[in-house]
Amino acid sequence: MPDTGYLPKGKIKDFIKELAKDAIVYAPVLEGETVVFGPFSEEQELCLERPANTPPKSVIYPQSETLFTFEHKKDPEDHQKMSVELKAGIDAPGTVIFGARPCDAKGFIIYDRVFINTDTPDPYYMKRRENTLIVTLSCTAPFSGCFCVAVGGSPASKEGADAMLTELPDGYLIEPVTEKGKAILNKPMIEDGSSRLKDAQQVQQKAHEAVKNPFAKGRPEISPELFDADSFWEQALSKCVSCGACTYLCPTCYCFNITDEQTFGKGERIRSWDACMFFHFTLEASTHNPRPTKFQRFKNRVGHKFVYYPEKYDGAIACCGCGRCIRYCPVSVDISEIVNDLGGGGQKQQTAGSAKND
Amino acid sequence: MPELTGKELRVVGFLCNWCSYGGADTAGVARFKQPTDLRIIRVPCSGRVDPLFVVKALLAGADGVLVSGCHPRDCHYTDGNFYARRRLEMLKRLLPFIGIDERRFHYTWVSASEGQKWQQVVTEFTNRLHQIGPLHAKKENEG
Amino acid sequence: MSTEKVKEAIAKILPDVETVICWQGGFDAVHATPCFITKPDEIDKVIWNPLCAQNLTSYLPSLNKKKVGIVVKGCDSRTIIQYLQEGLIDREKVVIIGVPCTGVVSVKKVLKEIGHQPVADVAFDNNGNIVVKTSKGEKTLAIADACPDKCATCQYPTPLVYDHLVGDPITSDKPKESVYQDVREFEAKTLEERKAYWEKELGRCIRCYACRNACPMCICQDSCIAETREPHWISQKLSLQEKFMFHMIHALHLAGRCVECGECDRVCPMDIPVSKIKKKINAEMKELFNYETGVNPDDRPPMFTFNVDEVKIKEHKI
Ligand code: SF4
Ligand code: SF4
Ligand code: SF4
Ligand code: SF4
Ligand code: SF4
Ligand code: FES
Repeated sequence: MPDTGYLPKGKIKDFIKELAKDAIVYAPVLEGETVVFGPFSEEQELCLERPANTPPKSVIYPQSETLFTFEHKKDPEDHQKMSVELKAGIDAPGTVIFGARPCDAKGFIIYDRVFINTDTPDPYYMKRRENTLIVTLSCTAPFSGCFCVAVGGSPASKEGADAMLTELPDGYLIEPVTEKGKAILNKPMIEDGSSRLKDAQQVQQKAHEAVKNPFAKGRPEISPELFDADSFWEQALSKCVSCGACTYLCPTCYCFNITDEQTFGKGERIRSWDACMFFHFTLEASTHNPRPTKFQRFKNRVGHKFVYYPEKYDGAIACCGCGRCIRYCPVSVDISEIVNDLGGGGQKQQTAGSAKND
Repeated sequence: MPELTGKELRVVGFLCNWCSYGGADTAGVARFKQPTDLRIIRVPCSGRVDPLFVVKALLAGADGVLVSGCHPRDCHYTDGNFYARRRLEMLKRLLPFIGIDERRFHYTWVSASEGQKWQQVVTEFTNRLHQIGPLHAKKENEG
Repeated sequence: MSTEKVKEAIAKILPDVETVICWQGGFDAVHATPCFITKPDEIDKVIWNPLCAQNLTSYLPSLNKKKVGIVVKGCDSRTIIQYLQEGLIDREKVVIIGVPCTGVVSVKKVLKEIGHQPVADVAFDNNGNIVVKTSKGEKTLAIADACPDKCATCQYPTPLVYDHLVGDPITSDKPKESVYQDVREFEAKTLEERKAYWEKELGRCIRCYACRNACPMCICQDSCIAETREPHWISQKLSLQEKFMFHMIHALHLAGRCVECGECDRVCPMDIPVSKIKKKINAEMKELFNYETGVNPDDRPPMFTFNVDEVKIKEHKI
C-alpha cells in the first residue's frame, strides 16, 4: 500500500459516504452563513473553505451529556424505605471527524492530558476519543485572527490527527498519521498520492509562512509582574462584556459543571460545559465570589492557557491559536495582543515568514 | 366525570386567589360538570403571573395555559390585573411568532361568584384544545 | 474629516470626565473595537467611520459612579433615553458626544460578500461605498447594501440626546412604515413555517450568552434568571426547549424596552437573528400603546404602567 493517498475533488462526497458506512461522520456543513460540525448527510452543503464557527470539540466532549440517570423508588413493603436506582452508560458510537483544522485536532491533545493521561481518567471522554477517527484538512492560508504558529502549531501540523488532507488544485493529498488513519487509504476512491506529495508540501510550507506571529518575542512570554498587576487587566479588558463566547467557541477550553436535573423522584446527572468567564463559575454557596470581576476572570482565562497549564504539562500551551475567540468576540478582544502585551509589549510581528502583509 | 373524546390533555391554569380560584371553587361546590384536564395553580393575584410561567408551561409539556383573575377594577390589590392585562396581551401576540398557536393560551376574568362562567370558560377552552390536539408528542412512561 | 472633529470633541470634554468611551481600530482592518480614553495622548487612536457599529452605551450603567464621556450614533442615543426612562443612569454623570450617522457596516454582510476571506484593508469613498481589499482582490460594496438591517430603516440618524453634536444634523428619508415590515413579512408565513424557522435558527444556539451580555438593556447580567438554579427556569440540558426558554426570557424581559440596536444579532457567533423576536414585541407595543422605545425621556415603558381602560386591548373570546 502506498504511504499517501489522493482524493479527486469530485469524489469527496462519495468518500464521506464511504466513511459513513461504519461510523457517524461529523463534517463542517453550512447552515446559512454559519459553518458547524454536523452529522453529514447528502442534502447538506459541505464547507471546506474556512474554519467552522464552532470547533468539533462537542463531538468528543459534548456541551451537555448525561452521566447517569436515577430514580428514587419506594419499597413496596415498607413505604418509609427508599432506594435509588442508577443507570449509567456511555454513548460512544464509531465516529469520524472530517475536515477539522489542525488547530482543532490539537485541541484534543490538550484535553487528553487532562481527561486521559491522569490517575483518574474520564471514561466518557476516553471512550469517545478512542472511537473517533480524526481526519484534518490543512489550511492553505491563515484566517483572520489565526496565530497557530506562535503557540507551537502550524496550518499543516499533523498533531492530533489520524490523517491529514492537503488541498491541491484538483484534489486532496491524504497523509495518514496513525494506523487508524492509514486504513482510510483502502477506500475505493483513493488513488496513490506519492507523486503529489511534493506539491502538497509546498502548499503546507507556504501556508506556514503566511500565518502571523503576534508575539514580539516569537513566542508567548509572560511577565509575572504584569500578570499580577490589576491595572493591566483593567486596562486591557475594560471593553469585555463578560459573555462566554470566547470559551464556548474555544477548542481548548474544557471546564465543566455537574448538575442533577430532576423532576418527581427521577432525573439525570448531567455534565455540561462551564467557563471561567461566567460570574457563577466561582460563586460560592456563601455568596462570596473569589473572582467577582471580568478582569479577574479573564486573567484566569489567559493564566490557565499560558501559565498554569504549561506549568503543569511540561510547557505545553493550552491555546492552539485558532483565533475563534478573537473573530467572534462581541467587542474584538484579542487574546494574542493581550498575551503579547503581557510579555512587556513590543511591536507585533506581522507574519511568521518574511515581510509585512501590506 | 366529563365525557371527553380521546385522552386528557395537560392544561395548566393560573388562578388568582381572590376571584377566579373562588369562582372555580363555587363551580365545584355547585357540582357543575367540568372537564378534568385542567391543573390549577393558585397565585395571589393575576399580577403575579409572569408571562414566562405560561411560556415555561407550554415548552415543558402543557398543551394549553389558562390565566384568570379578578375583573378589571376588582383586583384585591387594586391594579395587579391591569398590569397582567398588558403583559398577557403582549404574550398572546408573541406566541404565534415563535410558532405556538395562540389558541393554546387564554386569559380572562372570573369573579368568585361566577361559578357558571368558570364552568363555561374551562369547558370551552378545553374543548378548543381538544380540537387543536396535543402540543407535545407524548414521551414514554408519561401519564 | 469627521474623525478629526470627533477627536476634537473628545479632547474638549476629557478634562471634565474620567474616561471617554469611543472606538478604535480592531484586530483586523474590518473590525472596530471599543476604547476608553483617559489621557490626551491616547486620543490619536480614536476612529469614527462606518465600522463603528458597537453600541457603546452598554457600558454606561456599570460606569455610572464616575463621570464619563461617550460617543453615540443616532440609534445608540435611544439606549441612553431608555436608561433615563428607567432611571438606570444619572444624566448628570454622562457627557454625550453625538455623531449624525449615515449608516454603519455589518461585518457579517461584508464577510459574506467577500467569501469570508481575511480582510487586508478597508477604505471608504465619497459615494457611500466601502472598498474591501483581500488577497484575492478588491471589492466595492455600497454601505446601503452592507449595513445592518436597522440602518436600512433608521428613523433617527441624528442622536436624540447629546451635549455636543459633531457635524450637522441629518434627517431620515426612510419611511416610518418600513421599520416593522420584516416582522409583518415573517408573520405572513404559516404557523408551522414559523415554528420550523425558529427550531432551525435557535437550534444552533450554544447559549454563550453573548447576545445577552452585549444587550444594553439586559441589566441583570450576573443575576440573570437563565443561570439561577433556584428558581430553576432552565436546566443544563442542550435541548431546543431550553434554548427557546432562554430566548423567551431575553425577549420578554425586553418587552417594551428593546431599543432595536441590533447588538444581539451582531454579536451572535452562530448568526442567529434573535433581535427579530424583540422587534415583534416592539411592533405590538407601537400598535397597542403607540409606544416607541428610547425616543422621549419622559415616556414610561408600557409594561411599567397601565390604563384602567385599555383602548386597544379587547377581551378574547374562546
Ligand atoms: S473576551 Fe469577548 S467573547 Fe470573551 S467574555 Fe469578553 S466579550 Fe465575551
Ligand atoms: S484561546 Fe482563542 S485562539 Fe486560543 S484556542 Fe481558544 S479560541 Fe482559539
Ligand atoms: S440605525 Fe441609524 S444611527 Fe444607527 S447605525 Fe444605522 S444609520 Fe446609524
Ligand atoms: S449569542 Fe447566539 S449562540 Fe450565543 S446565546 Fe445568544 S443566540 Fe445563542
Ligand atoms: S434585545 Fe437586541 S436589539 Fe434589543 S436592545 Fe438588546 S441588543 Fe439591542
Ligand atoms: S387579586 Fe385577583 S387579579 Fe389581583
